[in-house]
Amino acid sequence: MKQKFKVALAQISCKRGDKEANIQKIEEYTARARQQNAELVIFPELSLTGYTIRDELYDLAEHVPGPSTTAIEKIAKKHEAFIVYGLPELSDKAQATIYNTAVLVGPQGFVGKYRKMYLPTHSVFEEKRYFRPGYQTGVFNTKLGKIGLIICYDIFFPEVSRLTRLEGAQLIICISASPAVRRGFFETLTAARAIENTAFLAYVNLVGIENGLQFWGGSRLLGPNGRVLAAAKYDEEDLVIGEVDYSDIAPIEAFVPTLRDLRPELFDKLKENVENF
Amino acid sequence: MKLTQQVLDLDWEEVKTKITRFIRDYVEKTKAKGVVLGLSGGIDSSTAAALSAIALGGDKVLGLMLPEKETYNPTDISHAKLVAEKFGIKTETIDITPTLEALRKSIPIYDPEDKLCKGNLKARTRMLYLYYYANKLNLIVCGSSDKSEVMIGYFTKWGDVAADISPLMDLYKTQVRKLARHIGIPEEIIEKPPSPRLWPNQTAEEELGLKYEVLDLILYGLEHFMKVEQIAEQLSLPKDLVEKVKKRWKSMEHKRRMPLTTKLQYRTIGFDFRLPVA
Repeated sequence: MKQKFKVALAQISCKRGDKEANIQKIEEYTARARQQNAELVIFPELSLTGYTIRDELYDLAEHVPGPSTTAIEKIAKKHEAFIVYGLPELSDKAQATIYNTAVLVGPQGFVGKYRKMYLPTHSVFEEKRYFRPGYQTGVFNTKLGKIGLIICYDIFFPEVSRLTRLEGAQLIICISASPAVRRGFFETLTAARAIENTAFLAYVNLVGIENGLQFWGGSRLLGPNGRVLAAAKYDEEDLVIGEVDYSDIAPIEAFVPTLRDLRPELFDKLKENVENF
Repeated sequence: MKLTQQVLDLDWEEVKTKITRFIRDYVEKTKAKGVVLGLSGGIDSSTAAALSAIALGGDKVLGLMLPEKETYNPTDISHAKLVAEKFGIKTETIDITPTLEALRKSIPIYDPEDKLCKGNLKARTRMLYLYYYANKLNLIVCGSSDKSEVMIGYFTKWGDVAADISPLMDLYKTQVRKLARHIGIPEEIIEKPPSPRLWPNQTAEEELGLKYEVLDLILYGLEHFMKVEQIAEQLSLPKDLVEKVKKRWKSMEHKRRMPLTTKLQYRTIGFDFRLPVA
């Protein structure tokens, strides 16, 4: 397993509903990231289709693995890179049940997928109308270490990142499609999740305008102490590279030993209180 | 939440950037050649026109000045021209009086005493001109309605509010004033009393019985799910007045939507046909 490698935050805008165009952009950005020696390239939430696709989801959703995953696996093999992207995933067992999914592929092909657990359905968001929530964390063993996937609103629920970390992920990837007025929340929460879990956290957000919503970008890689190691521009497409060095975790873990100090009995209490809230 | 003028403060440079980006993006996605808008010389249309010019370049913005005899006001015309000149906007002036006279003559039930119906006819006539130009020249109609007017339904249905995009519609009137000042709209336009000019000497604040500074805070409170009692107490206003604004806001929903239908089939327009725009 590599201790040290470069990560590319591929902050793109998507052509809504046009998978072919978006796959092409994924390839372009992957090639550019590889030129800068990045071994992992991360794209935003629902980057295959765009975020605001509403009823078009039923036309656009596909199985994972499926045709688009195969196409992106080819890109990963060709460029010898790991790629994370998002798409609406059609259930294998039903005909119109869809998940908001993040997929990890690598030079050897398909690695794994994570289905978003927390689906925002408030304000401008209508995800529960369309998606079934996931029930499993997404932690995958790769030559780049154990990588955990979460999606956007999941970051508001520390237990998702915590569980991902406790399952061994030292790099948590959060792909996102966050519109402008919520920037402050994400900038705080990305740092908080990194610090409280003493893990690297890569946040990659969409840019562009969809249905009047302006996505703010601001993708960032944070170290286990919450320090910003790489930051993309606000509002514009961007590709930035940051370095993950897992050996940075040990000194932070010793300095602020949040994992050592976890109190399991509180989780029982938490469960009890959530059920009766 | 404390309802003070400060809650309406935004980062105006950021607002300008977002609105101009929105206009540019929409025009690009629809492959239009630019925008057309009605230029009345008032604050809303001046601001919408200026932002369009900042977004697209003035040569891609056409301002139609559509005066008519009854409410003709040379100051408005000179204000419209001032904005057009400052932001390099193309203009065209069409006197709509003959059209209005022909319409009035052709409507068997036309009632000259009914100033609201008569006024609405003017707003809807202007809409016809805007859409003709848009249609003919492949332009987008850019509306200039603000959030205050739209929330309380202070507009003509299918008239002044009719547009393809309304870039100011998430800003209250007093916020439009701040944005206008930020982007360099001349002060005399910002300071003059707002009027839809549907009939002579009509002013919005007199008709509504409230200053926009107060109305906007009431609406802001309602937007943030505050109770009528809380808003009234904080602004030292009679509860009835706040209640009246709330009722007006809710009763005007029909003016803000596509026509209501009744659900008969699988997917229905306005209910569960849910597609994105641009």
